[in-house]
Amino acid sequence: MADLTLPTTLATPDWLADLPDAGSLPEVLEQALNSPAHRERWKYTKPGPFVAATQHPMIDPDIGGESQNGVALNQSIDAPLAGFDLDQAPEAIARLCYADHVMTLDVSASTDEPIVINHAGNTRPMLIRVAAGVSLTLLESADASDDAQQSIWIDLAPNARVEHSRNALNDAPSHWQYLNVHLQAGAHYQLNNHVAGCGSRRQDIHIIMDGQGAEATLVSAGKVDGKMALDQQVTLEHRQPRGQSKQTIHNIVANGGKCTFNGRIHIHEGAAGTDAQLSNKNLGMGEHATINTKPELEIYTDDVSCSHGATVGTISQDALFYLTSRGIDRTAAEALLSQGFLRQCIDGPLADQALTALVGRAREES
Amino acid sequence: MSLLNVSDLHASVVTDDGPQPILKGLTLEVKPGEVHAIMGPNGSGKSTLANVLSGRPGYIVDSGTATLNGQGLLELEPFERAQLGLFLAFQYPVEIPGVSNMEFLKASIDSLARARGEEQPNTATFMKQVRELAGSLDLDPAFLKRGVNEGFSGGEKKRNEIMQLLLLQPKLALLDETDSGLDIDALKVVAEGVNRYRSAENGVVLITHYQRLLDYIVPDFVHVLSNGKIIESGDKSLALELEAKGYAWLT
Repeated sequence: MADLTLPTTLATPDWLADLPDAGSLPEVLEQALNSPAHRERWKYTKPGPFVAATQHPMIDPDIGGESQNGVALNQSIDAPLAGFDLDQAPEAIARLCYADHVMTLDVSASTDEPIVINHAGNTRPMLIRVAAGVSLTLLESADASDDAQQSIWIDLAPNARVEHSRNALNDAPSHWQYLNVHLQAGAHYQLNNHVAGCGSRRQDIHIIMDGQGAEATLVSAGKVDGKMALDQQVTLEHRQPRGQSKQTIHNIVANGGKCTFNGRIHIHEGAAGTDAQLSNKNLGMGEHATINTKPELEIYTDDVSCSHGATVGTISQDALFYLTSRGIDRTAAEALLSQGFLRQCIDGPLADQALTALVGRAREES
Repeated sequence: MSLLNVSDLHASVVTDDGPQPILKGLTLEVKPGEVHAIMGPNGSGKSTLANVLSGRPGYIVDSGTATLNGQGLLELEPFERAQLGLFLAFQYPVEIPGVSNMEFLKASIDSLARARGEEQPNTATFMKQVRELAGSLDLDPAFLKRGVNEGFSGGEKKRNEIMQLLLLQPKLALLDETDSGLDIDALKVVAEGVNRYRSAENGVVLITHYQRLLDYIVPDFVHVLSNGKIIESGDKSLALELEAKGYAWLT
């Protein structure tokens, strides 16, 4: 594979110039892009077009709920980024440098209404900082129909709580979402992620448990049907003791779709008492589905509880027989079972829209 | 006219070592209003009979016929057999997370109504009926919102099978060891449900290991299945004799 290069020379922003490891930023970024570890993260999706698109013109995301008390929206970065990781996310850093400005959202008081973010196209990077003890509901959706990218950093101060729902159900030739979440002590973060395949969709999620007793939950439902692709790369780091994380990711891959999942849990030295769980289940349907899944564990401390598992399967014949033995025809029974598989991971305020798009009907009251 | 007519049925189970013959010429006739108990030692073919009649994958019919109300069953898909009026109460009901019980029951009743050219029941009326049925079987109606059989105890799963029996009102019920794993209270609830289902128009085939269930569901006929054939038939007293003597004296 040829080396990846950034599309044009980028200028090092002021807020980044003082970082000791920034060095000559373009060089550092290109090294990071081409490091073996990073190339591994792009093993199943061609990185070139995504890297080239980091300098595409950007628009502001549409933001709602920003005029509430305790919410401030600015267009600059006034401090080094929490969760900043050059090696892990050189493309996202490059977007920060190419952007003419960024969107900085500071939330200093719990809000009554959610903050709503819609990406109608290739949107500027966002930094969301949630102050200590503050609770925030974040609703994010993408409806771009052209190539688009998003990069969002969320920093949770001690005991902050964020419930983040995200729908990426739009059809676009390519779509890349980078999400970085940094949790300080006692902070809680929950992501309900609902995603459909598109021409080539990539979701990078990097969650850093950087304070004692932080908790993170990631629940994701994905459906990749026809000639669509989805590549999800999740890194979850436990850097401090007694953190808890739980990830549940269900993907259906049907009729020639291609789905890649890589979930890495990294438990640092000293992060004793960590409880980390990851489950990725994939359901293949129809002909020629491609599923790549790799759960990874790196543990550098004793006294942790950790479980991870990945399964790739088809519809259970026992379950199918059970439903058909009650008079439900095979096609309808298969639909019920695949819907049930996804529905286990569809929840939160954006669930109804996701159910319609992924499952084909809204939740039935009962 | 008979409701269920099984004639000289030979069937094999598919195994890694190839098909293994299990049923070796089984004949059984059930008329409307009758309850037939089928007893027999482990491996005699009791569950295979239930599975072959309901169309579970993994079995091969080698020869023989089976009809329900004169219509051949063995060529049909499982859902077509159910639409004709056959019902299997599972020995091991399957857990299906993500599909709620209510949604499953509605899909089932709608499919059966469509197949019979009947109108699908109104959702609100249907839900009320299901809740009442659940209550009558000591099932917490809250379970209707949960995934099908998800996290149910063994007893709850069996009561859920009986609830489906009462809701779907099939013509013929095959109960495959519905009594296994039940304590005495749950057994009474299940038996009471089966007795509520019994009518002059329908039939029951009760597959069981133990005579105990027959104290609560009194059969018209008792058959002993051994090595894939019915080797003895009688009335309820045969079950008592089996209980006293075991199967050895017959086989």
